Amino acid sequence: MNETLSQIDGSGRQESMLVAAHLSKRYEDGVLALDDLSLAVAPGEIYAMLGGNGAGKTTTINLFLNFIDPTSGQAIVDGIVTHEEPLTARQKIAYVSENVMLYTNFTALQNLDYFARLGGQNDYSKEEYRTALLRVGLQEEAHGKRLRDFSKGMRQKCGIAIAILKDAPAILLDEPTSGLDPKAGLEFISLLDDLRSEGKAILMSTHDIFRAKQIANTIGIMNEGKLVMQKTTEELRGENLEELYVNYMVSGMAVAS
Amino acid sequence: MLKLMILKELKSIISSPKFAATFGACSILILLSIFIGINEYQENVKAYDTASQLNNQRLAESLSWHGMSNQIFRKPQVMQILVSGVQNDIGRLSSVGRYEGIKLRRSSYSDDPIFAVFRFIDFAFITQVALSLLAILFTYDAINGERERGTLKLTFANAVPRAKYILAKFLGSTLGLVIPLLIPILIGILLMLLYRVPITGEDWIKISVLLLTSILFFVFFIAAGLMVSAMTRRSSTSFMILLVAWVTMVLIVPRAGVMLAGQLVTIPSVAEIESQQAAYEQSAWDAHYDKMEEARIARRQQMANMTPAEKEAFEEDNMWGWMEEEEASRKKIQGEISDHNKKLNEDHRNRRSEQERLGFSLSRFSPASAYQLACMTLANTNIMLKNSYEDALNQYRDGFLAFTSRKQEENEGTSGIRISIDSETGFSFSGSRGIESLDLSEIPRFDVPRQTLSTIANSTILDVGILLFYTIAAFALGFFAFLRYDVR
Repeated sequence: MNETLSQIDGSGRQESMLVAAHLSKRYEDGVLALDDLSLAVAPGEIYAMLGGNGAGKTTTINLFLNFIDPTSGQAIVDGIVTHEEPLTARQKIAYVSENVMLYTNFTALQNLDYFARLGGQNDYSKEEYRTALLRVGLQEEAHGKRLRDFSKGMRQKCGIAIAILKDAPAILLDEPTSGLDPKAGLEFISLLDDLRSEGKAILMSTHDIFRAKQIANTIGIMNEGKLVMQKTTEELRGENLEELYVNYMVSGMAVAS
Repeated sequence: MLKLMILKELKSIISSPKFAATFGACSILILLSIFIGINEYQENVKAYDTASQLNNQRLAESLSWHGMSNQIFRKPQVMQILVSGVQNDIGRLSSVGRYEGIKLRRSSYSDDPIFAVFRFIDFAFITQVALSLLAILFTYDAINGERERGTLKLTFANAVPRAKYILAKFLGSTLGLVIPLLIPILIGILLMLLYRVPITGEDWIKISVLLLTSILFFVFFIAAGLMVSAMTRRSSTSFMILLVAWVTMVLIVPRAGVMLAGQLVTIPSVAEIESQQAAYEQSAWDAHYDKMEEARIARRQQMANMTPAEKEAFEEDNMWGWMEEEEASRKKIQGEISDHNKKLNEDHRNRRSEQERLGFSLSRFSPASAYQLACMTLANTNIMLKNSYEDALNQYRDGFLAFTSRKQEENEGTSGIRISIDSETGFSFSGSRGIESLDLSEIPRFDVPRQTLSTIANSTILDVGILLFYTIAAFALGFFAFLRYDVR
């Protein structure tokens, strides 16, 4: 953990793909949604943010996407400060949001094609779209169907396929497993593992402690906008994450070191 | 990227289930309205031809130029197929003669009042009511709907400039809605050709301008839909706002503007004007008779001390002068009455124009009124139709009366009835010409009042300008609102 934080402050900034440097966000209604958050995700690494509702997980992701401007601090993607150059930064990010509906009048293939082109990928063939859909576990007969006939889980898979096809070095996942059944959840974990092997830097927010422990390199627990714990999976070995999570949520302790 | 997003918008509209239903309904409405318009026009032409023929026959059977009256019928116009305007409310014919003033009588609605209840459905009405609603139906959730579905976040997780996105939304929606609607309109125009409606070059220009104006009006509602959608978070909110705005703009403001003008600029009714005229006439004649009576009393006093022989000589000497004096006074009074009536009529008309101007200016706060006024001006079925016909008829009346008077003078002694008193045959009446008919070939023809294209352009430019202003304003507001829109 100390190693990653040193990267934020020093010359190591370039090494991390995603960096939050003393990032704070106070909304117009006065609520401090994020309080001095610092974290870093290197290529080939998965960082899981755990926390209850209103902990600041989605705010963090929104700051990386520059959907909102930070009150102070910076969100940095591949060395680019997102609120200074949002369009350039977004080229480096693939994003999967919670409960995305996509375009329900379009088929899965049409949705993929549109978003791939929007992300700057103009050369995919239909076969490549099909491969991506199969990779996320969407069977072939569903590829040509309109999304209005899809279940929540199927749409989520489609959203994940869109993120894969963008082939960006950083991936932001906001509750990506919501809506997925256990089998699909398992497949998703294996997919994330593949993406990590490809060198992607993945930052995900989740409620799912079990999956977070299973796949992440680093786990951060957030409470009321603060990062209250950050540990690598090695550091967590032998510890009961669930117990830790509940303790931190109750005590609201900030990260000590 | 702009092209990609425009194409997506197009596809999205065309592939939506509501598109098939609404597009189908609008296409049927447009085609039906044009078809009914063609039938109506052809029936009007038939009625016009028959009535004109009957009138010619009636004229041909007249025996005398004296007191001849002609009947002039309002000619049907091709553009009434698309914009019926007020043409069904205005009388279709007027008599032109020495003893009657110009008055257009027998409107379609007075003959067939059932159609006045719900009025005709024409292309302009469909655009104004149905297509504007269609535009709202497709754009009310253009932005906030995407936010609700999460696609706005997904889109802006890419390097998409906001200005490009909103522009693509606007262009895509416009193309996606305008192009499909052009199909039934073009089929409708083809129907007009198939039914051999005589469309002149001028009509083609008017039809093209009408189409462009209709598209502009339609695009305004697309821009308005986008604007409200980019200013609200929920599609249910924007739908309600747009629905209320639509009712206000299409149904309330046009009527309210005119009603308010009616309250602000009051004009006396025709009956009031007529009673004022009658009262003036009465008092003028009363004064005239009083004056004449006074003159007579004065004369009698003058003659009071004269002998009967002197009286007779005096009367003999002055009778002609007195008669001339009385005649001059009578003519003067007649002139004064005529001037007064003319002035009252003119005042009434000016006041009415003032009311119309105010009413239309107030109504123009709604783009729907501006559109309707532009359409009616283009089709020459606007409120000026009555005035222009009446002016043309009055002008024609002068020419016609001059002509019949001249003819009468030319044939003096050979027309009318001759009364002969003969010692042998006693009284005898004779028509001078027997049953020989009049030569009507030189009778002046009525020129249908025409608006030149430049007049039409001048009078539509304001309304088209207003529409353009509203459209640009709506788009600009939507554009800037979206630049600050929270996509989450």
